[in-house]
Amino acid sequence: MSDIKYLPGKEPHANEHRLIFKNVDREGWDQSIDTYLNDGGYEMLKKGLTMDPKAIIGEVKTSGLRGRGGAGFPTGIKWGFIPPNNTKPVYLICNADESEPGTFKDRYIVHQDPHMLIEGMVISAFAVGAHTAYIYIREEFPEAAIILEKAIAEAREKGFLGQNIQGSGFDLEIYVHRGAAAYICGEETGLIESLEGKRAYPRIKPPYFPAAMGLYMCPTIVNNVESLCHVVHILRMGGEEYVKLGTPRNSGTRILCVSGDVKHPGYFEVQVGKITFRELIYDMCGGPKDGREFKAVIPGGSSSKILRCNESFSIGRGDEAKELSFWDLPLDFDTLAEAGSMAGSGGVIVLDDSRKISWVLNNITHFYAHESCGQCTPCREGSTWMRKISDRILEGNATPDDVKTLEEVAYQIDGKTICAFGEASAWPVEAMIDKYRDELIAETSEENEFKSPEQQEREKFLISS
Amino acid sequence: MNSNIEVPKPRPINRSRVSYRTASIVPTPALIDRARLIYFDQKQSSPKVPRPAPIDRSKLRYHSLGTAVPKPACIDRSKLRYRSLGVVVPKPALIDRSKLHYLCSAGVIPKPCPIDRSKVEYSEPQLTALERNIHSPITPGAVNFPCFEITPELEAKADQRIAQYPADQTRSAVLPLLHEVQHHFGFISPESIDWVANKLNLEPMKVVEVVTFYPGFRQKAPGKLHVRVCRTLSCAMGGSYELMDKLCEITKIDRSQEDGHKDTISVSPCGNFSVEYAECLASCGTAPVCLVNDDFHEGITADKAQALLDSYQNA
Repeated sequence: MSDIKYLPGKEPHANEHRLIFKNVDREGWDQSIDTYLNDGGYEMLKKGLTMDPKAIIGEVKTSGLRGRGGAGFPTGIKWGFIPPNNTKPVYLICNADESEPGTFKDRYIVHQDPHMLIEGMVISAFAVGAHTAYIYIREEFPEAAIILEKAIAEAREKGFLGQNIQGSGFDLEIYVHRGAAAYICGEETGLIESLEGKRAYPRIKPPYFPAAMGLYMCPTIVNNVESLCHVVHILRMGGEEYVKLGTPRNSGTRILCVSGDVKHPGYFEVQVGKITFRELIYDMCGGPKDGREFKAVIPGGSSSKILRCNESFSIGRGDEAKELSFWDLPLDFDTLAEAGSMAGSGGVIVLDDSRKISWVLNNITHFYAHESCGQCTPCREGSTWMRKISDRILEGNATPDDVKTLEEVAYQIDGKTICAFGEASAWPVEAMIDKYRDELIAETSEENEFKSPEQQEREKFLISS
Repeated sequence: MNSNIEVPKPRPINRSRVSYRTASIVPTPALIDRARLIYFDQKQSSPKVPRPAPIDRSKLRYHSLGTAVPKPACIDRSKLRYRSLGVVVPKPALIDRSKLHYLCSAGVIPKPCPIDRSKVEYSEPQLTALERNIHSPITPGAVNFPCFEITPELEAKADQRIAQYPADQTRSAVLPLLHEVQHHFGFISPESIDWVANKLNLEPMKVVEVVTFYPGFRQKAPGKLHVRVCRTLSCAMGGSYELMDKLCEITKIDRSQEDGHKDTISVSPCGNFSVEYAECLASCGTAPVCLVNDDFHEGITADKAQALLDSYQNA
């Protein structure tokens, strides 16, 4: 690893452990297949095709790889859900619809290292028995769609795709399918509907688990870009070796994307759970901007619950329980879940004391009101109501009761929708009200109750008589 | 030509038999002695509801006024004047019907001349809900794009896209075909919707629902340079609102008609520029970011807006 040189100013931090981002910002690196082959690329594909598919799934299960898309579901277990007596074709879909605000890891993989993704997809398709795979890429990456199509053509030319790959008798075609700027297409069943050429209305689970009834009602595996890339490294290192990276139940590396009010925002590939917020935000991102203090952190994309920087949490159960301050929390799936938030897709958004919570809340509610697909009433109506109430709070026209109403609306959405978008839109609102209620109420005024047009008419009448 | 028509003379009305409604004086209603009223619940022996205690109105505070409201003065009913009580309505005079002119009984009506239909201007037909959804308003940007036409290249590209999906699942190609159309013709026009529907053997409605669902498909022509500014949290913190204001200032775009949901694109009067807010372009670490047509630009703060637009004018 030490012989890899990176572009000046883009060198990885000493705390990083680069697997997936090994070739990102690398000196002399380009997206062509020759560069990838010179670096030992597609060796794992050759190795994988000689293995038993069940053995590959076994390795991935052993590795404990958890999906990097947001929910953190174990990838190997997901692959095992395909019905054993299945006779229909199996599809593999790579979810490159990276649209969670705060997350920007997949952008660099598909733009700078497309062949690693293709190699991961071929191995994964072989493991689950898929002969057609789609890369669902978001519309906002027009350049990446071209890069991927070129990479696919190159790989086909070299015999890593198409009929009888490397003489193994395994056939696979990968196609790029562009989305059209809808956030909901990141939800796997919504993505499948979109791939079928419909509106991206998520399907209800049960019964529509993609592994049994997915694309065209056939078994379908939907994996994030990063998860599929990890498969290459799991095969190279072996599941036993891979699981040693990171912490128990949170194995491997993951890419954290830091944005917002820090000196040096950026992406960092670290071992899961080995890095605390203090190390990430102070050591790796250079701390707060001059003269500022940190206020809050959104730890896993905008739909995760906000954490206050001066909070402390009780982590662990029974005798192992310990009190940890916010800065000492390790960034892994389980700890963040115990702290009342989630690791999500790894998008860490840092807010400093110059940010008003009402402004942040307003921005986030606007996003979710715009992106609600409109299928379930609580989410379609509720997200718009939340936007309107937060507009009122921001403009200073709200009453203290509005904060309560906003909270009530959020709890009316949470858990009452088909897909997780309902929670995604409600959680940030619930958490911000819960943790910053005083600040929000301070921006409201009892007097605003008399600011309604009807009330103004009434007052005018009373004064004149 | 004599067009006098004979109208029978109406019978005279015997007005002595007519009785007028308000001619008599309406007596003032007697005051109700509330002490003698029996309340409904008291009639039944059980359960006995106690008579409500009189409300001390001097202690009441009225809601929603903030300040104490003065007690309303008692109304002196003796001074009130009731409408139509005291006034006697005079009996109307008899109508001398012999002097009445009945319409069209006196003059000569000219024969209508034939309508010259070539000179008739028809108003815009009312659009149905479906037609409104597939309607493409004409913007100044329309000059930048060719009109929709089916070319052999388009057909070939479409066939190539359709081949990516199983033979019985061609509906999947709706999005790729719409992307092809939008790429070549700037936006999705009603004719192109029909073409996609025909190509994939679908009802046009199935295509319209896709076009109207996805923010990535636009139904009116953008400018030659279409700038999509990310407005989501990290970029907003980095200054994308300011960037948008600056872009609008430079290109003289008026965003006041933009509704944020259905019609998000604002085109400059010259047709060269258009702007739109996009939701998270996934490069939060280099905020604020924007897409100009298909090119991605990062770290575009408001002071770099002019340079960004200039870089395209030289090209």
